[in-house]
Amino acid sequence: MKGLRTGLGLLALVLGLGVGSARPVLADDTLDRGIGSEWSSLDPQVNFDAAAGWIQMDVYEGLISFDGTGKVIPGAAEKWDVSSDGLTYTFHLRDGLKWSNGDALVAQDFVNSVLRTINKDTASDKGYYFSSVMQVKGAKALIDGTATDPATLGVTAPDARTVVIQLLAPQPEMLQLMGAFQIAPLHGPSFKQYGAGVFIDPAHVVSNGAYIIKEVVPQSHVLLARNPNYWDAAHVKIPFVKYHVTEDVATELKRFQAGEIDVTYDIPLNQIAALKASDPAEVQIGPSTEVIYYSFNLTHEALKNIDLRRALSLAIDRDTLESKIVKGEGIPDYSFAGGFDANYHGPQIAEATMSQADREALAKQLYAKAGYGPDKPLKLNIIATVAEDAKRRAEGVALMWKKVLGVETDVQPMERKAWLDAFYAGGWDVFSDDLVGDYPGPETFLAYMRPSTEPGYNWVKPEYNAAMDAAAKIADLPTRYEALAKAEKILLDDYIFAPLEIVPNRHLVKTTVHGWSNSAAGYNNSQFLSLD
Amino acid sequence: MLRFIGRRLWEGALTLAALVTLTFFVMRLAPGGPFSRDRKISPEILDHIKAAFHLDEPMWAQFGRYVWGLLHLDFGPSLRFRDYSVGELIAAGLPYSLTIGFWAIVIAALVGIGLGLAGALRRNSGVDYLAGTVGVVGIAVPIFVIGPLAQVVFALKLGWVPVGGSDQGWRSLVLPVVVLSLPNIAYISRLTRGSMIEVLRENYVRTARAKGIGARRTLMVHALKGALLPVVAYLGPATAGVITGSILIETIFAVPGIGRHFVDAALNRDYPLVMGITLLYGGLLIVFNILTDLVRGGLDPRLRGHG
Repeated sequence: MKGLRTGLGLLALVLGLGVGSARPVLADDTLDRGIGSEWSSLDPQVNFDAAAGWIQMDVYEGLISFDGTGKVIPGAAEKWDVSSDGLTYTFHLRDGLKWSNGDALVAQDFVNSVLRTINKDTASDKGYYFSSVMQVKGAKALIDGTATDPATLGVTAPDARTVVIQLLAPQPEMLQLMGAFQIAPLHGPSFKQYGAGVFIDPAHVVSNGAYIIKEVVPQSHVLLARNPNYWDAAHVKIPFVKYHVTEDVATELKRFQAGEIDVTYDIPLNQIAALKASDPAEVQIGPSTEVIYYSFNLTHEALKNIDLRRALSLAIDRDTLESKIVKGEGIPDYSFAGGFDANYHGPQIAEATMSQADREALAKQLYAKAGYGPDKPLKLNIIATVAEDAKRRAEGVALMWKKVLGVETDVQPMERKAWLDAFYAGGWDVFSDDLVGDYPGPETFLAYMRPSTEPGYNWVKPEYNAAMDAAAKIADLPTRYEALAKAEKILLDDYIFAPLEIVPNRHLVKTTVHGWSNSAAGYNNSQFLSLD
Repeated sequence: MLRFIGRRLWEGALTLAALVTLTFFVMRLAPGGPFSRDRKISPEILDHIKAAFHLDEPMWAQFGRYVWGLLHLDFGPSLRFRDYSVGELIAAGLPYSLTIGFWAIVIAALVGIGLGLAGALRRNSGVDYLAGTVGVVGIAVPIFVIGPLAQVVFALKLGWVPVGGSDQGWRSLVLPVVVLSLPNIAYISRLTRGSMIEVLRENYVRTARAKGIGARRTLMVHALKGALLPVVAYLGPATAGVITGSILIETIFAVPGIGRHFVDAALNRDYPLVMGITLLYGGLLIVFNILTDLVRGGLDPRLRGHG
């Protein structure tokens, strides 16, 4: 009897569960967008993920924004001035800005946002942008605790419609950074009343973007609806936007084909060619700000020899690797920081203009010169992640090294967190590395390569540091780019890594969605899109 | 009876305590941490994050803090999903896993036992071969093959049900439930068939027939009770496994259950989330094992009183 009663109780529990919302998914007033894995946070001062950034850009509006092509456009600020030394940015807010609940939006809301981001109790990764990347005055001292007075921060609101940001060094890419890592304003009263939980609470969250949050179901979706109090609400065409979590790319493709999703997060590698042939108008592929390169371990005796490193780099046929082996539509790459901003004319590795046959001939010579050959083959390992494209790429490179030089390579795929730790632990000869730039300019990449004594890097090059320091003082962007190109030359000439490819953004977009563009920044705010 | 349950619950609590301790320390042996990043963030910021989650404390203090929280039913914050606590994530995901798992196990039990009985009673007939084929296919063909195939046929070609997601009510449940039930149908029908054939040869069945009890009554009352013992033994742990969410099913059909969290949490080194789901799974397994023993005791007098 007891068992029966327990069973009935369980039955009632299960039958009583309401699963699923009342709104039909196929309604054409809704734009259904894929975001891959679940967002890590909807808290605009904490979120660090690109995909969650798409939701954030729909729900909140920073001082400036990006259009679909990645161009900086006015956001909450209608215009801005930059001082001649490049150290002071003054933003002028639009007149009559409102929060979604009708409250007036004031300049201090932006200041409070920065203060909350760098507050240690918020424990936000993003704080580092203000102290290290943008180098906002006073940010570092507030973060490391040597200063506590919020008035010392170089982000201020002299009046209700003006935000002033003061920098320690000129940062001509400031607006790009503010676009890629949005400074969303903070609505004080709702945050004060409900705490950080308010950002996932549709009943109480207050935002200032084109959309407001209607529904949040972890691991499933976030539903947004138009914000009637948005200053440009009249031009927001799509009433609802739904972001769907679909971890499995093959399932996402089927959901797209069944009409459940209008824009996918990615395309399965093995389907790209077929889809390009059958539905070319739906396949949207363009470069992102991610570069993949194979780092050589400079603490290993053999790899201290630059001829050997150069030979390994030359022996990789990047075109074949991408088009025949990885098949992910990556763009073969011969530089580190170039290929993202057309205005940057940086260097490429010296042999970029040679044919692959000539490169391989030279690689063989250098390999022999370094003292290796059929009797004494070089033995290496490559540490890569278990991601499908990463494994294919590593196997492909190993194959080419074997074929051209006779190198014996052991490919060791690892799950992501172990791979991240392996870099610092050493033990690798070649590390399948990648870097996602903050914005499509060269400096975000080059700054990352500053010689460091941290385990893993081991590159000692005072000339490079000096060249980067010199560039950092220049406020004028074209001049700064020239200085950065000099630094990149020093970097590439040392062959401390072999650049391989620029990773693409890959999406399937229904032809009923209008206004979609590809940009390296990767933002297509829903407010600029429309549906048939 | 009550003493039996009491003793089993006490043993279960000890098992859970061992599970918590082992999982807590073994998990931290894996390389990489929850905040390993592929970019260098400044050390002060990293310190703030670690301090906010008490990861800067010595291991024993972290363990003490965790156990203290558990005693207050607090599973701690998720390190990967910053907006949620582990309790909230489980509360949000469990209903989906539970619903799909419940229906899958009900269908599997009904169809599996039916097929198994039919096979045992009409050996080498068409029904038996059909049941055998279903069994072999269900066991041999993995879910990650049947799942996508079912999506193509029933969602893409026929359009009867959605490919995945959870926003079309019961229609969203059909594919995951059916696909999840298939391997279980297979196991249950094989178990039932084998055990029924064995039971039919038992003395007590022959005795029952000899006493003049009708064939149908012998079968449905006397033989079936005995034949279901191994099935019940299988159903207990299988139910615990199925309702805590199938990782494959939830990934293939984009179901927002907790099965997916289990793998993701381990990959992301989201320590509290791994702990929470391990505990939940362990607890359910213990409860279902106790239930199984109770039901088996009800079915088989020989098992009573020995516990």
